This record gives sequence, structure tokens and C-alpha cells, in this order.
Amino acid sequence: MLLALVAFMVKDFFFSKPENRNPYEFELNNVRTGDTSMAAYTETGQIKTSLEEIHGLATDAAGKIYVSGKDGVEIFDASGKTENKFKMNGIAQGITVLENGDILLGMLDHIEIWNKNGKQVSKWTSFGSEAVITSIAAKGNDVFVADAGQKVVYRCDLKGHLINKIGLKDPATGVPGFVIPSPYFDLGISKDVNLWVVNPGRHSFEKYAFDGTMLTSWAKASMAMDGFCGCCNPSNFAYLNDSLFVTSEKGIERVKIYNTDGTFLAVVATPDQFEEGTTGLDLAVDNQNRILVLDPAKKLVRIFEPK
Amino acid sequence: MLCRGTILTGLAATTGILVYRSAKGGNCSLGSSCSNCSKSDSCDLPEASLFRQTVWQLDPTKCIQCGRCAENCVMTPSAVKVVHVYAMCGYCDLCGGYLKPDTKNISTAAENQLCPTSAIKRKFVEDPFYQYTIDEPLCIGCAKCVKGCDAFGNGSLQLQVRHDRCVNCNECAIARDCPADAFSRVPANKPYLLQGIEAKPEEKV
Repeated sequence: MLLALVAFMVKDFFFSKPENRNPYEFELNNVRTGDTSMAAYTETGQIKTSLEEIHGLATDAAGKIYVSGKDGVEIFDASGKTENKFKMNGIAQGITVLENGDILLGMLDHIEIWNKNGKQVSKWTSFGSEAVITSIAAKGNDVFVADAGQKVVYRCDLKGHLINKIGLKDPATGVPGFVIPSPYFDLGISKDVNLWVVNPGRHSFEKYAFDGTMLTSWAKASMAMDGFCGCCNPSNFAYLNDSLFVTSEKGIERVKIYNTDGTFLAVVATPDQFEEGTTGLDLAVDNQNRILVLDPAKKLVRIFEPK
Repeated sequence: MLCRGTILTGLAATTGILVYRSAKGGNCSLGSSCSNCSKSDSCDLPEASLFRQTVWQLDPTKCIQCGRCAENCVMTPSAVKVVHVYAMCGYCDLCGGYLKPDTKNISTAAENQLCPTSAIKRKFVEDPFYQYTIDEPLCIGCAKCVKGCDAFGNGSLQLQVRHDRCVNCNECAIARDCPADAFSRVPANKPYLLQGIEAKPEEKV
């Protein structure tokens, strides 16, 4: 009996290996990379851009792809062939295409309208020294401008005249006010002709009538794959099939699809498909329902289609 | 009789004396800081002596949040603590440094907290902002919150050697085992290496 005990102690002392794992180690790789098997889309193409920096992405009804960036705009056909490229001064963070084919560019503090041949049509006055324009959308004569600096959306006509402001905090009407810790503030016009705006600090989407009346909202704050987390997410969104939301995030770079009520539907791209630290994954959906993702780190437009 | 010229001359002279005295600093007669002085290596003044001293500190930009600072320090709990750089904090409701990643409900319940010792205190400021403060005596320097804040937030939680606890060993046991080589000796008059802000004067040794 004693011999057995001594043998056990000798084995335990000399032959058992200490646990190398630190009890305080915090394993986050699974959270960061997510489950790649959840991806319902696959990357089917890439379009290389030639601008020094790329910031904005848009498509038109004909399926053409528009990329705005530092000192220029580049226009591609659906196959990725360059159709036109023109120069302008400054960084165009936001871009959208009007029904007549003209291009609206959201510069730092003002809007510029250019035609496809690279001729400036008009230039609006500045929204103020604190303005940081991050996104624009247009419908008919209405243009909506997201100003992350002053935490408000401006509704203007095509000549740049202010019609009304949207999203200013008003407890009486239940408008919570935009929380925008960093300049990522996107908006878009839905098929039912209302405005959806991301409230990134609250990880929520808010729906407004054009007159500024808040209609509904949904939020998804979570560190899991089905939610948004960190500072200012989702950073960008676009509409798929005119109704679903395609969203992109920074911090944990990923692209996902949500229903209009906020139900998580699918993963388009996982963080391992982007360089760590990539921000500004602007999104667009073309007339073939392909999801286009602007990748500023690689200076590419990346095309995703269902598997 | 006082004239305008006399008054201006007097004011200029007084200002010059004050500027000269403030530039000298301490007992030094040279009027320059130790870092710019060629005599700081051999100077006997107390401020030069402090300038020559070094203490251990870890560089947050090199730290990989492995958790070893909690276990390897000769002090119990460790002299390495988390420091909150408020200037970088987003005051988020969903705080990656405070909550576990799989948290279902955002609350202060112990099972939701990432910190194994509940050393981070969460306090409502105004909708939708929350302030997170460190209860330093409870902090063991495990870096879980630092890793969570880095992954999901702005990186405002950072590990630092706290010099009110550190005994400044010649060979630091944590530095010896640090896999990221994040520890080095820094001047005692600039003992902190926080990112995002300069170390505050009151944080000097």
C-alpha cells in the first residue's frame, strides 16, 4: 500500500506535465473569425480601381458601377471594364446617381453634381465648418445628406435648398437623436419611399418619413454574429431586392443580410476575407442582385453572389 | 516723476526676471530640462537623479493580452493593472471590455461580466452612455478586458505597471516571461506609456 502511494507520488511529481494554458487567457479567435460555414455568398469577382483612395460606391439602373474617392470618380460597366474616369478636387465620401444620370458627390462639407463626362453641373454651399458628409441618397427632387459631424440628416432639393432636418433629438416625438462617435453614418431610401438611417452608436436602423416623422426602428446590439457591436456599426448598408438590408461593419469586418424587421438572415463575407483594420466597406447592389463591397484597403470593388 | 517710458521699462524688467526664474526650474542654474542637458549624467541635483532612475513599464502597443501579468508578478495581486484612458472611450452600452462576448442581456449580472474579479464598475451617465471605472485593488492584471476592448471597442483599456505597487525588481519576473517583449525600463519621471494621451503629471512616481 505504502509502495503504491510512493509510486503514485513519484509519477505525479516527475512525470505529470504542468498545465501550460494560462487560466486568464481570453480566446477571441472564434468570435473574430466567426463561423465561415455560415457564409451564404461567395466572392465571384473583383474590380481593381485606380484612384489613390476609394471611399464611395454606387450603381445605376443600367448596372454601371461608380466609385468615388480622392480627387476622382471612376465608372465601370457590369463586367468591371472602365468606362470613364474623371478628376475633381477633394475626397468624395458619398456618391449616388440621379435618375437623369448625373452624379451627386458628398464632399467633406458640401455637395457637388457632375455629369458622366466629368463636367461639374453645380456646387452647393457648405453645410458648415463642422459638417462631415458621409452619405447621400436621392429620390425625385429630394436629396438626403447624412452629416456625421453635426449628427443630422438634411433634406434638400436638387438646387441645394434646405427643406427640413431629420433626426434631431426630440423626446416629445420619440426621436432619440443620432449617436455618432466616429464618421460612419449611412442612409438610404426604401422601396416604400421612406428614409432609413443608421444610428451607429445605438447599433440601430431608424425609419423616417421625408418630413422627419420617425416611423419605426430596430436595433441589434450583440457581439454575436447576428448583431452589431463596437463603435459605430453598422458602418454602411444597401438594399437587396428592394427590401432586405445588406450591412457592413468595421472592427470585426463582416457583411451580413437582415430582414426589414431586423431578423438576421445570412452572412455574405466573414472577417477573414478582409485585412484586419479595414474600415469604410461601402456597399451597393446592382441590377443583377450582386452584392458589391468596396474594399478601401485593397482598393477593390469585390463582387459577392449566392453560393 | 513717473512717465510712460519708465513704467514700460519697469514692466519689461520684471517680466524678464519672472521668465528667467520660471525657466530655471528647481535648483538648476542652467535653466534647461535634464533631457536636454549634457551634464545630466553627472549632475548631483535631485531632479537629475530622478531623471537617471528607470522603472519597469509595458508598452500597450506590443502587449498581446496573454494574461501572464496576472500570474508572474512577485506581488499578489500583480502590480500590473488596467488603466482606463477615458479620452479614448466610447462610453458604449455594449462594452466589449465589460461584457462577455456571448452575453444575452446587457446587465451588471456577475455571469455577464468578463472580469473574473468584477473590478470594472459600470455606471449610467445618460442615454445611451455608460461610464466604466476600475476598482484597482480588485484588478489582477489579467488583461481580459483589454483584449475585449481592443477587439470590439476603441482600445481605451490598457495594462500598465502601477508604480505605487511595483517593487521595481532588478529582473522583472513578468518581463522575463513576456512573449511579446512588451516590458522595458523607462525614465522614472515618465513612468507610464499610455496610448492616446500623455501620462498625467499626477501619475508620475
